[in-house]
Amino acid sequence: MECYSEEIVSIFVDGELEAKEAQRLRDHLSACRRCRQLLDALRAENRVLSESLQELPEEAASPEGVSPVPRSFAWGDMAIVTAVLALTSVVAFWISELSIPQALRWLDPFSVSGGTNLVLNFSYYFANGGTAMLDEYAAVVGKILLVLLLGGSALLLGRRWRLRQPGLRLLIVLLALSLPGFALERRHSEIVTVRANETVEDTLLASGNIVRVDGVVNGDLLAFGGTVEVRGTIKGDLVSFAKRIVVSGTVEGNIYNCSNSLELDGQLGHSLYALGQSLRVSDRAHVGEGLLVGAGDVSLEGEVTRSVTMFAGNADVSGSVGRELTMAGDNLTLTNTARIGGNLSARVHELKNVHIADGATITGTRDIQVRERPNRFTSPHFYFFQAVWLAAAMLVGWLGLVLFPGFVQASTHAVGSGWRSLGLGFAVLAGVPVAMIVTAITLVGLPASLMLLMVYLAAIYVAKIWVGAFLGQMLLKPTGVTKSDWLLGLLVGLLILTVVRYIPYLGGLVHFGVTCLGLGAFAWQLYRVLRPAITV
Amino acid sequence: MDAKRNNAKASQPGEGKATQMDGPDLESVIERAKGRDAEALAEIYRLYARRVFGLCRYMLDSRESAEDATSEVFLKLQRSIESYDGSVPFPRWLLRVTGNQCIDALRRRKRGRHVIVEADVGVAVIETASPEPSPLGAVLGAEERAQVRDAIARLPENYRVPLVLRYYGELSYDEIAQQLDLKRDYVAALLFRAKQELRRKLGHWSK
Repeated sequence: MECYSEEIVSIFVDGELEAKEAQRLRDHLSACRRCRQLLDALRAENRVLSESLQELPEEAASPEGVSPVPRSFAWGDMAIVTAVLALTSVVAFWISELSIPQALRWLDPFSVSGGTNLVLNFSYYFANGGTAMLDEYAAVVGKILLVLLLGGSALLLGRRWRLRQPGLRLLIVLLALSLPGFALERRHSEIVTVRANETVEDTLLASGNIVRVDGVVNGDLLAFGGTVEVRGTIKGDLVSFAKRIVVSGTVEGNIYNCSNSLELDGQLGHSLYALGQSLRVSDRAHVGEGLLVGAGDVSLEGEVTRSVTMFAGNADVSGSVGRELTMAGDNLTLTNTARIGGNLSARVHELKNVHIADGATITGTRDIQVRERPNRFTSPHFYFFQAVWLAAAMLVGWLGLVLFPGFVQASTHAVGSGWRSLGLGFAVLAGVPVAMIVTAITLVGLPASLMLLMVYLAAIYVAKIWVGAFLGQMLLKPTGVTKSDWLLGLLVGLLILTVVRYIPYLGGLVHFGVTCLGLGAFAWQLYRVLRPAITV
Repeated sequence: MDAKRNNAKASQPGEGKATQMDGPDLESVIERAKGRDAEALAEIYRLYARRVFGLCRYMLDSRESAEDATSEVFLKLQRSIESYDGSVPFPRWLLRVTGNQCIDALRRRKRGRHVIVEADVGVAVIETASPEPSPLGAVLGAEERAQVRDAIARLPENYRVPLVLRYYGELSYDEIAQQLDLKRDYVAALLFRAKQELRRKLGHWSK
């Protein structure tokens, strides 16, 4: 009988030959020495393969013919950056008594409260120390850039040290798994409702115009939408990003909230962390732990078991606070019914803006400090920070010039187009936050929106560089436009801008104009550079 | 992560099997994992991460994509484990899932449905291959094993993927055919040719 082909024997060795065929082959093997030898050899080969593969390919070379794929901005990188960002911002939050509320109020009119607020708020800002606001705002942007730098370094270090080992990444995964209710249920529509008799077992991720929870969510609720109403019970945390949030039911965990307005009318098991325009803790509300708030208006009528820290324009307290009350902002009012279980400390601009009714109970000390603004011109700190700020701006300008000489000079030039830059800049300044929120609400776009935010803030930061350089060039009128001319111009321009910024009233307006101009020039130049790539 | 690497270094062939738990033990871990018990999932990770990573590493072209794929497999596991019905041994099921994940990754890169396209030369070619160097044999030292690994890693994708699925993942021809969306016969042919190609690459020491 004719011998079998090597392939058939090979399939037989793999145990994959059809039963009938395999039987015939077995019969043949008993008679044919040559095929038996082949069989043994192939078996040995399979063993070699399995054995060799048992070890991990630690040193295995990259296979030929497949070029390594250039890695895109991967999730791992973003996770590292986000972690650094989060850590730093937390630290920053506690270190300084922070300019975030002001900075937020600046962003706020563009984002949630809409067009009418915009005009009103603007006039208020400029009348009410607009310069200081912008100053603090610049500090926030500076800090964010610093954080970005830190994040970038962490990223580079991470790559160098091969932090992206499966072990490390899975550690993150397992950490995430160990959180209760990690599993996720998604709901997305115009109106998302959890009915009164309904129970959601997992964490619920809801996005929609209206998100209403009448039933029970056993995990966390992550809600994005226009209005979020919680009338039922959330066993985990409530994380929300919405225009208006009303909690009249029960949240057993924490509330992390970023919204235009938040009304807490029910029970909260742990703490409330909120950023927004207004916050009201009604007299029926009970907060199991503490409160950390940055908001325009805070009204505290209910009961907070632990301490309250708030950065607020106006704060009215008529409820009770178990421990300390710490406040920084403009107005503070404690009514007759207010009860503070610990110390009261407040930092305000003027003493007359603090009203403490005689009937108010404060168990600890009262420490009310006035933050005087004019003082800063006499303090050496102020000049030191101005110098640092200037040096940083010069450094950024120089870096830009070294890395993208053409782009930098063209952007500077584009400032000269005046109204076009101003208009475009204003549109970008006002439009991008809206775009960011729209992208963020679609949720899929959340990372994109975060990246956009970073670019946006960076663009605002560098805006004054274009304008400064342009201003300097206009004044110095250099014969040739060399790098050193540009840098000298930048220095002169920035110095002028810095001084002008501190002119009361006018300074804020000028600074705003400068930001728009620079942003517009940058956007225009960016558009011109990218345009050919788009049309191709 | 160093601990992990040391772990990998210290382990010897067959160790992957040695770490497996006894049937009833593993069963209870899987049962708990189905109930989303984080500890049980962690235990499964501890037991099988190395094997899963190995398959990804052989199938994908870079360490990083292999790490990504491994993470994906264990990330998805907490849901997908519900579909494990015990009809095949768990490690084999897990490697099947891993294989699918890797093929998805390869597919995404190629932007196509097929990772390996069935060539029209088909099965006929195979018969001509007999006078090639004889099958790899003999007991291998560490260095030779490394050479074999290296040669496998340098095989073209259409040979490497089925070969690794078969001799590392220990999947059947049918399972491989299903994953790659190919005919069973073609898988057999690819495997055979892959081994021949491997022999050719390693020719100098098989003699």
